[in-house]
Amino acid sequence: MTRKAAVTRKAAVTRKAAVTRKAAGLVLIAVLACLLPHQLNVYWVHVADVAVIYGILALGLALTMGAAGQVNLAQVAFFGVGAYGSAILTTHGWPFWVAALVALVAAGLVGLLVSIPALRVQSHYLGIVTLGLSLAFTNLVTNTALTGQADGLNSLVVPPLFGLNLSSDYVYYYVELAALALCLAWAAFVVHTRLGRRLRAMRDDPLAAASIGAEIPYLRITAFVLGAAFGGIAGILYAGLIRYVSPASFSLSSMFFVLAGFIIGGRFSLLGAVGGAVFLVLLREELSNYEAYAQILYGGLVVVIVVFAPTGLVGIVPSITKAIKRRTKAVRDSRSGASDEVQQTRLGAAPYQAVRLTNGGSSTGVADSSAALVVEHLTKRFRGLTALEDVDLLVPAGQIRGIVGPNGSGKTTLFNIISGIYTPTDGTTEVFGFRASRATSYRLARHGVARTFQNLRLFGRLTVRDNVLVALDQSRTVWAWRYFLWPFGVLHADATMRQDADELLSMYGLSDVADSLPGVLSYGSQRRVEIARAMARRPRILLLDEPAAGLNGQEMHQLAEIVRDVRASGVTVVLIEHNMGLVMSLCDQVTVLANGRVIADSTPEVVAYDEAVIAAYLGDSSDDNGSRPAQVNT
Amino acid sequence: MKVTTTSRQWQLAVAACSVLVVISGCSSSKKTTGSSTSSAGAAAGTTAAGSAPASGSAPSSAASAAGASATVSDTSPIKIAVIDAQSGQSSSLGKWEYDGVKLAVDQANAAGGINGRKVELTVFDDQGDPTVSTNLARKAVSDGFIAVLGPAESADAIAMSPIFQQAKIPYITSGQSPAMPKLGDPYLFLNSPTSTTYDTTLANYAVKTANFTKIAMISNNGAYGKGEHDAFTAALKALNVTPVADQIVTPDQTDFSAALTSIRQKNPDALFIGAEEVESGLIAKQARGLGIKATIIGAAPTSTPIFVQTAGTANAEGAVSSTPYLTNDTNAQTKAFAAAYDAAYGSEPELHGAKAYDGAEIMLQGLKTTNGAGGQALDDAIRAVKYQGLVGNFAFDSTGVGVHETQIGIIKNGVLTAAAS
Amino acid sequence: MQLFMQTLVGGIGFGAVYALVGMGFTIVYRTMGLVNFAHGQIAMIGAFLSATFFLDTKLPFAVAAIMSMAATAVVGLVIEGILRPLEARDFDLMLIGTLGFGVVLEAVATRIWGATGRAVPAPVDRPLQVFGIIIRTYDLVVIGVGAVAAVAVWVLLNRTKAGAAMQAVAMDRDAATSVGIRVGRSNAMAFALGAGLAALAGTLAAPLLYVTPSLGSSLGIKGFCAAILGGFGNINGAVIGGLAFGILDGFAAGHFQQYSDTVTFLVFAIAIMVRPTGILGELTVNRA
Repeated sequence: MTRKAAVTRKAAVTRKAAVTRKAAGLVLIAVLACLLPHQLNVYWVHVADVAVIYGILALGLALTMGAAGQVNLAQVAFFGVGAYGSAILTTHGWPFWVAALVALVAAGLVGLLVSIPALRVQSHYLGIVTLGLSLAFTNLVTNTALTGQADGLNSLVVPPLFGLNLSSDYVYYYVELAALALCLAWAAFVVHTRLGRRLRAMRDDPLAAASIGAEIPYLRITAFVLGAAFGGIAGILYAGLIRYVSPASFSLSSMFFVLAGFIIGGRFSLLGAVGGAVFLVLLREELSNYEAYAQILYGGLVVVIVVFAPTGLVGIVPSITKAIKRRTKAVRDSRSGASDEVQQTRLGAAPYQAVRLTNGGSSTGVADSSAALVVEHLTKRFRGLTALEDVDLLVPAGQIRGIVGPNGSGKTTLFNIISGIYTPTDGTTEVFGFRASRATSYRLARHGVARTFQNLRLFGRLTVRDNVLVALDQSRTVWAWRYFLWPFGVLHADATMRQDADELLSMYGLSDVADSLPGVLSYGSQRRVEIARAMARRPRILLLDEPAAGLNGQEMHQLAEIVRDVRASGVTVVLIEHNMGLVMSLCDQVTVLANGRVIADSTPEVVAYDEAVIAAYLGDSSDDNGSRPAQVNT
Repeated sequence: MKVTTTSRQWQLAVAACSVLVVISGCSSSKKTTGSSTSSAGAAAGTTAAGSAPASGSAPSSAASAAGASATVSDTSPIKIAVIDAQSGQSSSLGKWEYDGVKLAVDQANAAGGINGRKVELTVFDDQGDPTVSTNLARKAVSDGFIAVLGPAESADAIAMSPIFQQAKIPYITSGQSPAMPKLGDPYLFLNSPTSTTYDTTLANYAVKTANFTKIAMISNNGAYGKGEHDAFTAALKALNVTPVADQIVTPDQTDFSAALTSIRQKNPDALFIGAEEVESGLIAKQARGLGIKATIIGAAPTSTPIFVQTAGTANAEGAVSSTPYLTNDTNAQTKAFAAAYDAAYGSEPELHGAKAYDGAEIMLQGLKTTNGAGGQALDDAIRAVKYQGLVGNFAFDSTGVGVHETQIGIIKNGVLTAAAS
Repeated sequence: MQLFMQTLVGGIGFGAVYALVGMGFTIVYRTMGLVNFAHGQIAMIGAFLSATFFLDTKLPFAVAAIMSMAATAVVGLVIEGILRPLEARDFDLMLIGTLGFGVVLEAVATRIWGATGRAVPAPVDRPLQVFGIIIRTYDLVVIGVGAVAAVAVWVLLNRTKAGAAMQAVAMDRDAATSVGIRVGRSNAMAFALGAGLAALAGTLAAPLLYVTPSLGSSLGIKGFCAAILGGFGNINGAVIGGLAFGILDGFAAGHFQQYSDTVTFLVFAIAIMVRPTGILGELTVNRA
């Protein structure tokens, strides 16, 4: 067995063992959680109940902020809508669980409203806006007679549940535990299947996510609705437990508290978010007579975590064990004199096997006689800087077209307009007959446009396989209703996509590194992942932005093979490149841009000797050596 | 989302398990020790908690167990909890109350306690927050306290009502919102007259004695402020007077220029403030700053040094207050109280300390009657107490109100003095 | 008319306070690339310090204010050291990290000065009568002082060497280093300047409101809204945004009474959605 195969086999075995261990660990936690109340007196069981509620609340944050990257400082308002909703309705005589359902829907609707600013602003802007909306909610609730104003609603009903005595905090604990387990399971379900992958892709790189078809605005709305739903559930449980709701419980300090728990626990981990919130509730209770010190402690912890361990406590333990492992391994190695080369170098993709694809991935297998891309009079100005001026381009279907030009000539801007990232100041673009000038990236992706980026935009926190899976997912966001009503459909679709992904990965020689994060791969392999991801989309036209940058000779050779195979499968290719050799050998036609204008547009041989082109690249000197760019042997 | 180095997930599971084990271990010690509990109470608490998973009636069994064990053992301390704001905006109130209660209890303990048993006070900080109060109420129940003194905030008292009712723990509060007697909670007592009493006296003075004709109102929409607003409006109505302005603000508001500007336009000669001490002071200060010259009138909050401090002595000058405790020099009883208070704390007492002292004295009398037992017996004993206190003659009615009259005072040079009536 | 004028003047008064908070916040962002959400708590510390100087040591208000600004600037230098590692993080983490630090500052203030708070009398409290309309004199003082401070900041940034250095660092940190500007010292000065402005804002706001540890939270949030409304990163924008937000807040209080916060923040959210870059447009900072 070769070393590589041995390593792969060993990795698979370790993976299986780890999964089993993880399952065992979870079962152990669950058992301990069930046994917990028997150890506690009435007061501490009550505290445990509150802790679980905050855990569910933090879970909502984990979905909106952790998974989807949307800053959500209104989570406490969703908490309030759930609590107040069920409180108000039960006070007016509605049956508890009907009221709870209505309150949950209300929370979701409020989440939808709060998501609207997220369509326009992000990051710290969104933070302030959601914070302000949180304050608006508290103010509204403090003043409305319906909500009992500043003193809230008292003596709420005990939730009825099949004759169980839910006024006992012990019994309530088990009900909450069941709710937490369901919420965790469903959240994990969302995160690890197609919707969650899309959300995470959007978090890692919204631009790249849009370019492979993620409908960013709908995803943002979904993220907030999910977070709000969990907040609503937490609120309903809160009203049933404390049976007293007042604005003080949904204040800004509560928001910071649950945010701190979420960060301290681990913002990219569901269990971390829950654990962090539970931990903080217990900590605050222990220090209940030293309120100010408790605040200093958890405020300080947040700062420390953000600076030293941004992935939270969940990330600390593995880092420590990894460091220990490395040290003991180094000691062992220095003793035995061996070194494992495979693990020290960056992981690489397998050599690409050129495949002459017959029925390939293109949606139109037959060569199209229509034009793949038509650009007419395209102009783009940025506040005084003219990036593109009256550019015309016509790419017939099935061609490999090269776009070249000195730096700053507008090539990437051209790509950005074609792929929907910018809108042109003037002129039009058409892709296979579809008017593309003002279409969004994700709409263009649906019409068959795929691209790679000059400075590599992979989803850093997703594995290679997940990167490809996100692109394979051709469904619209609206498909997500199945998550609520038909989860089996989701699982089934996921399994199918996984198979397709594995096929694609093996085609591109990425099977061995499929479970790695892109960051550990060599640069050339990362580039290949990006191409594989773009092709997973089954596009009709592929835009490659400087795909050869940073590649060595062998990798460039393989890139050329890949491009030829892509074209053979029926996809039109347009590539921006500086490597003249590659351009000459690969492209059917070359367009030269300089200072935003097209200065030449012909076959590679003609363009190479065009005077204007030479002048643009080498300057106006008339005594150039007449050197020709070398050709790459294929 | 999770990085797929699966060893990380394994480590996480182990870490989480260890945390849970530690929690279970720590909290099993919670079973036997709360914060500052004594062994007898703890023993009762433990046995109660041990059987708790089966029934939801742990609190009552704890209380009765404590009651039962109290009659058996002679020397264990009687546990009373003081739940009050020790932090937050109402913290000075909480401090005065605790000082008043502690004075009464220390005096009682020095005189031999309740039939030889010492009374043990434990103070809990509810931060003036009703949610924290409910948590503390549960804590008091589970830690075996048989009686509670406080809180000062009406909202907190209302929030705790269902919990203490179920646990049969009597509590004497210092709030005055009429919403409290309306609860119909047999375990709730007030050591103060209600807003209705305060404001009827005040309205009568304002209309009949001081002859104010244009009275403006500004109050907050918290439990206390709402009670004040409704009581004063009703009292004015009984005198056929309509207020010229009725502005509502929130309990944590700090800028009142909008409401006050509107009031100034009506040119009132009296401004009624229905808000807590600090907020009343801020309103008075800003009113003067906006050129409102009306006389400030209000209930208990306007009689306190905090009000004078916050408003500024010049702005508080001439403020009229309806209060059951005018000065420390009213009679021999108040003088003795003031002397003892000064000796213990080095400062002069005021209304809140006096109220709390009265409440504690009544509680101690009740405990003497039941020989240190709690529950329904203590509740009945308290209701039967007739006590000549610092703030009035206590005779509790069925709704828990003990005092039914107040007097009028005016602030002169920063000090409250009796009004000539 | 009376109501309108009083509301307008009051709104501009608070607007000046928010503008000062926003300016200090923006200066720190422009020079250090740090989005500091604990800035409001720094203003609160300034308010407490001037209350102490004014009420306890009985210094005149102006003297107390200046001493408080100086003291807070020094405190700011210490805080800058603590927050420096956050500059390298992305904005989301910076937001959360500084929020956490704000919680710490608030708790520390509670430990030092207690939670009850202090009422600060205005240095001038007789209302003015202008054309038959009664104006609160102190409002005019606040507006005047705010204007003077804004001009002083402009002069400092555009007419002095230190100010030029700060702006240079904001534009290109490496280029600034290569022409001999000591970036660390310049940043520290910038933070001190920002802290001083915050202290001034807190001091001016104290007689209008009530000095408690939670004052920082409300001043901070409104100050940030002001900065974003005017154009994030734009110092002139902070002034415009502050005034706009103050007037919005004042009229919301006048018309909607207790519901003023609801209205103010809803309008703010809509305004930002309509024009995310703010009134004067945002100026982002290149962080190496």
